[in-house]
Amino acid sequence: MNAIGAPVIEAKTVGKTYGVGRAPVRALDGVSFAVPEAAFVSLVGPSGCGKSTLLQIMGGLVPSTEGEVLIDRERVAKPMPGKIAIVFQDATLLPWKTARANVEFPLELQGIGAAERRRRSDDMLNLVGLGDFTERFPHELSGGMKQRVSIARGLAQEPRIILMDEPFGALDEQTRIKMGQELLRIWEATRKTIFLITHSLTEAIYLSDRVLVMSHRPGRIVETLTIDLPRPRTYDMIGGVEFGRARNRIWSLITADEAEGAVEP
Amino acid sequence: MRRNVLVGQLLFAVAFLGLWELASRMCWVDPADLPPVTIVVATLVDLLGNPKFLDECGVTLVRVLVAFAIGAPLAVSIGFLLGEKIHLGEIFNPVIHFILGVPQSIFLPVFILVFGIEFLQKVVFGITHILFVVIVNTVAAVHAVPKPLVLAARSFGASPLQIYLRIYLPAMLPIVVTGLRLGMIFNILGVILAEMYGARTGIGLLLFRWGEEYRTPELMAGIVLISVVTIMLNEIMRIWEHRLGRWQTAMDAR
Repeated sequence: MNAIGAPVIEAKTVGKTYGVGRAPVRALDGVSFAVPEAAFVSLVGPSGCGKSTLLQIMGGLVPSTEGEVLIDRERVAKPMPGKIAIVFQDATLLPWKTARANVEFPLELQGIGAAERRRRSDDMLNLVGLGDFTERFPHELSGGMKQRVSIARGLAQEPRIILMDEPFGALDEQTRIKMGQELLRIWEATRKTIFLITHSLTEAIYLSDRVLVMSHRPGRIVETLTIDLPRPRTYDMIGGVEFGRARNRIWSLITADEAEGAVEP
Repeated sequence: MRRNVLVGQLLFAVAFLGLWELASRMCWVDPADLPPVTIVVATLVDLLGNPKFLDECGVTLVRVLVAFAIGAPLAVSIGFLLGEKIHLGEIFNPVIHFILGVPQSIFLPVFILVFGIEFLQKVVFGITHILFVVIVNTVAAVHAVPKPLVLAARSFGASPLQIYLRIYLPAMLPIVVTGLRLGMIFNILGVILAEMYGARTGIGLLLFRWGEEYRTPELMAGIVLISVVTIMLNEIMRIWEHRLGRWQTAMDAR
């Protein structure tokens, strides 16, 4: 069980409409929630429900049409590299840079000195288990390894919050489970606030303190589930009664919402 | 394996030159049309020792380099704008593709009317040959910049300038260099063509005259010289291209 602190992320009636004009698309509608400091919160919902849009609004990459997101009570208007790091679905590593240079790249942009960059990239690549692969280029790494580099790159920025947009979506089942366990280990070691978007209910429940369930487009938060499974989480909990109950509840919420998108049970 | 390929290529070159020599010596072809390779090479060595000939080569080289120095940056800038500014691209990209499909040599008489037959006309004709192929390649290069990388860089707090220099530039470079290499080939073609068609100086003019005067040893020597120089230039740029694009070929190979 975690000591859950004050809210570090607050979304207040966030709405987003794309393509104002003849054929506007309502992506998000009145999305409100709070994420406590050091919590692990996941957001699940059918494909195309506006999950990624919400994450990009939270990251300051896209403006919302209505409402606002507060980080540490500060309104998000642009990216906040010191506070928020984003891990994207496809690792988004620069193919012409080594793993180390990729981890150091944001730090370089932010004007952090070479010695400090080196220290952080060493620490973080070791933390994600890639200490022996620092000089490899992305095309020399597997999908899982690339995503580890991407996580190391997020952590090296020493943010308070890490936003993850289906980071394991492109990985095979086995790698995905391992990466989930790895992520929990990293989270326990660093105590960052993690906000994870996933379409895997199992992943969401297994990793999180709370699961936000989003409806089909326009995306709304239809329920917030608190996951009371003890920590550290173990793989066999996935077969347990409590786990199954949570999964059924989310599944019924999503399917009741005439979901057209694919969702993994 | 690699060695075998090299040996094979060398054997082919020797066989080709041998056949050339033999065909001429044995009068399979009229030696007046195709002098033996040994005579051509001897003529070339003579020419390379002739200051007047070297002057003519220098004139052509300067025209080619000036055209490239102006045309390449101009074309890359235009291509960048057309690739990055979607509305500009929508208007002008089809136009450029149309023009690219027209053989530019048909405009040569117009260029002479407008720009005369001196330095300016040769350089302008070279530039127009560079322009369109490099623009098209640069537009493609801009479109090939992975958008998720740009989004990621923005999340790191990168400024627009940092995004252009640190994401766009390296991502575009391999494709742009391919365009520049093709641009250089077309540039040389344009300048020499303009020299052959109407000029007072330049190696193109010499080739044309040697042809008219039926001086085939000189003509062939000139052809060999230009071929060797352009092949070398092309290869140097290809090596550069390959080095820049190593990560890309590695990605494609997967």
